[in-house]
Amino acid sequence: MKNPLLKRFKREFKREFGKYLVIFIFMISVIGFVSGFLVASGSMIEAYDESFEKYNIEDGNFELYSKIDEQSLEKLEQENVTVYENFYTEKDTENVQSTLRIFKNREDVNKLCVMEGELPENRNEIAIDRMYADNNNLSVGDRIVIDTKGFKITGLVSFSDYTALYSSPSDMMFDSVRFGVAVVSDSDFEVLSKDSIHYCYSFTFDENPKNDEQAKEMCDDVLEVLTQNTVLVGFIPQYSNLAINMVGNDLGNDKSIITMFLYVVVLIIAFIFAITTSNTIVKESGVIGTLRASGYKKREIIVHYMTMPMVVVLVSAVVGNVLGYTVFKNVAASMYYSSFSLPTYVTVWNMEAFVLTTVIPVIIMFFINFFILLRKLQLSPLKFIRRDLSKSKKKKAMTLSHRIPIIHRFRLRVILQNIPNYLTIFFGVFLANVILLFGLALPAVIDNYQNEITSNMICDYQYILKMPVETQTKGAEKISVTSLETLESKLKSESVTIYGISDDSKYVDVNFDKSGVYVSSALSQKFDVNEGDTLKLKEEYGSKEYEFEVSGVYDYPGAIALFMDMDSFTETFSLDKGYFNGYMSDKEILDIDEKFIATKITEDDLTKTSRQMQTSMGSMMDMLTMFGVIMFMLIIYLLSKIVIEKNAQSISMTKVLGYSDYEMSSLYVFATTIVVVLSILVTIPVVNFVMEYLCETMLSQYPGYLPYYVPFSVFVKMALCGLLSYLVIAFLQYKKVKKIPLDIALKNRE
Amino acid sequence: MFIEIKGIKKHFGEGDSRVDVLNGIDIELEKGEFCVLLGPSGSGKSTLLNIIGGIDSADSGYIVVDGEKIDKMSEKELTQYRRKHLGYVFQMYNLIPDLSVRENIEVGAYLSDNPLDVDDLLKTLGLFEHQKKLPNQLSGGQQQRTAIGRAIVKNPDILLCDEPTGALDYNTSKEILKLIEDVNKKYGNTVIMVTHNDAIKNMADRVVKLRDGVIRKNYVNDVKISATELDW
Repeated sequence: MKNPLLKRFKREFKREFGKYLVIFIFMISVIGFVSGFLVASGSMIEAYDESFEKYNIEDGNFELYSKIDEQSLEKLEQENVTVYENFYTEKDTENVQSTLRIFKNREDVNKLCVMEGELPENRNEIAIDRMYADNNNLSVGDRIVIDTKGFKITGLVSFSDYTALYSSPSDMMFDSVRFGVAVVSDSDFEVLSKDSIHYCYSFTFDENPKNDEQAKEMCDDVLEVLTQNTVLVGFIPQYSNLAINMVGNDLGNDKSIITMFLYVVVLIIAFIFAITTSNTIVKESGVIGTLRASGYKKREIIVHYMTMPMVVVLVSAVVGNVLGYTVFKNVAASMYYSSFSLPTYVTVWNMEAFVLTTVIPVIIMFFINFFILLRKLQLSPLKFIRRDLSKSKKKKAMTLSHRIPIIHRFRLRVILQNIPNYLTIFFGVFLANVILLFGLALPAVIDNYQNEITSNMICDYQYILKMPVETQTKGAEKISVTSLETLESKLKSESVTIYGISDDSKYVDVNFDKSGVYVSSALSQKFDVNEGDTLKLKEEYGSKEYEFEVSGVYDYPGAIALFMDMDSFTETFSLDKGYFNGYMSDKEILDIDEKFIATKITEDDLTKTSRQMQTSMGSMMDMLTMFGVIMFMLIIYLLSKIVIEKNAQSISMTKVLGYSDYEMSSLYVFATTIVVVLSILVTIPVVNFVMEYLCETMLSQYPGYLPYYVPFSVFVKMALCGLLSYLVIAFLQYKKVKKIPLDIALKNRE
Repeated sequence: MFIEIKGIKKHFGEGDSRVDVLNGIDIELEKGEFCVLLGPSGSGKSTLLNIIGGIDSADSGYIVVDGEKIDKMSEKELTQYRRKHLGYVFQMYNLIPDLSVRENIEVGAYLSDNPLDVDDLLKTLGLFEHQKKLPNQLSGGQQQRTAIGRAIVKNPDILLCDEPTGALDYNTSKEILKLIEDVNKKYGNTVIMVTHNDAIKNMADRVVKLRDGVIRKNYVNDVKISATELDW
């Protein structure tokens, strides 16, 4: 005969539909989101890793002042490297506000992945980066104007050496809005690069280095040959080239954050399951006792009570994975595609994602349910029938002073009775607030950074020249500029811009001591360098070290920079008196030929980090905020529902005594309200502290400095988000309390 | 007349499964009267008690308590009625498991503008030294005394008792009955007690015998016996 208990499942499902629906939604969204993310990032990491060989990505590149001579090339090749020309020219586009770095078609190194259309073959054709095209609403067939000449876009491509569109290695963030890369035919390149050409060379080692340490040694050898034989303008080994590495680092970081998130959520789900299972046993103790007394085995009871939660978890896991591989994978992929210029990828089955999102949660649920049931079933059937499920003799009441009014004591008792529920609520609120703060604070951090930079700009235009050239522009002030590096920690050191400023500068308002220098606020905060400290820096492509006494901090958050007076500058770097190689000016300098200008820095350049972050992260932030709110609501709903169900008998009884629905809610719902409000208020500063630490650790890996500043209004928003979503839950719970019938108290149960 | 019950009818279920639980009940009670509703299982006595208590409604008929018709009352007014006039004692005590003895009683006291002194009541109930204990640390008799304490602390006009000794042994049952008798005497509340124990009728002022939803007997005892002298 079929087990008659099977018939209970349908009824149980109907009765507890709300509970199972919430668990179902919660698990599906978590499993779906995490599996989608892991599958997308896993597939992309695989495509990214393969791209090194597939597209023959360089092991490094260098830029020379002029074309390399045969002799130097031979010396380089003796270091077992193959050198490729990778010349480019940079042009401002006229119908789109941006700068394009234009290359010839590439056939040997850093090859391209054509995402749409085809590579340019004829005159006046161009293929541009897909990401740059997206951000500037350009597509195949459109025209783009460079040097007054129109180019037809024939294809959208991904550059294997520009998966993140960094225009300079010292940039904190790439810029895929106003900076792009493109290829044109050889003949067009000749014309475009006639006035300004960057002699950039890529190199690959004949034998791949085993690791970054070995790559560094090999690159140091190449650098030595270059510094001895050429006039080096720039040198970027692959291991420190963010344009190539950023994607790999970011995908790896995201994976660890998402996995950590999953573990925390699984822990919360486990708690919720433990509490719901215990609650079910208490609720069903009469049934369990009767079944046991009638001869049902423990195993049969365990199987019976485990079936529903396990079915829910399994179905959620299956649906979650299906959604992960279909919907959420695309969401995650589009998030990456909106930040990075990635080549195409093929979805690969991700065993790790399956284990993390499905096998582990299912096992956890299985064991939690199994052990709770097994432990409880050690009690005699009689104890179940009597609804006395305590193992220990009798628990004692915590003494509460009679002076506390009874209503307050009542609420305290509700809280004490439900400590596991409320602890889980606290933990859930904490996690939801972490997600909410991510969603709400990062835009504020970025806005603040942008405001700081624009309101603390030194001047509107900074020019760095290839050689000293005079200008007649009114207000232009001569400066000297060079770059040094921080002393290496591990593999990375950070570039520091050294400014030589005239003593009476109207742009940088500081009084220099004879030997002292001022550091920018960005440098001071990032490296914790303050007045009175000694700052050690080294040459960029050499080993010479410099020491500077810091006289003060200059409020300039836009760059990692150091300011010294012009004379000290020439003395420190052994230059001729009167040397200069740049200008600061509030007016654009128009009387210097473009070919003498190495770099021009405007507000646009300084704010590209914030602009790019807004572009890349905008949609993700909204999604995170939404996810945080949903998670917050689901956890509180599920656990406060249990508090009320557990106390249905007492609520009914108290109603019989003459308590109104409002008074009942003020006892049972308000107890939860106290916990939720306290959890929100206590977790916000903790979450802020954790987030500050996480942000600083995360951002320290990137060049530049982005201060962590969250305005108070964000915390108010967070609290409001939490309170408003709780209000919805509280209303549902109030309705639930109202619905509890009086006759529960009349049933002869204790 | 303090309580007037007139023509109360009540049924459960429909069609073949329809059961007429109460078929026109008329009872009148004076203030302070001790009434026992006596009858076997299914006679309708508990249903009648619940209708008097405003937690169930009749199909027809009406109940007037102290001049107020309760069948016309809204949900809110019924809550106020229970709050103002009623104390309830159940067979299975229905104490709030996470509140101490004192707190369970104070939950009742909170509802009254003029509650009895909780310390005095705890002493009267013999629970003073147990006041900090939780219900599960008490014997059945002590739990029922707590439930009685909770019901009478707000000094209600009417005390409704549904088989208050149904789960207790002989001696404890007599203790509880004595307590209810004392409460009735001391505070002058009208007591309506449902029981199937025939012996208890002897301690009541009025006895109403029910069977199949109909009053079989309704009489006033000429001689009342104290609860301590009851035997069964």
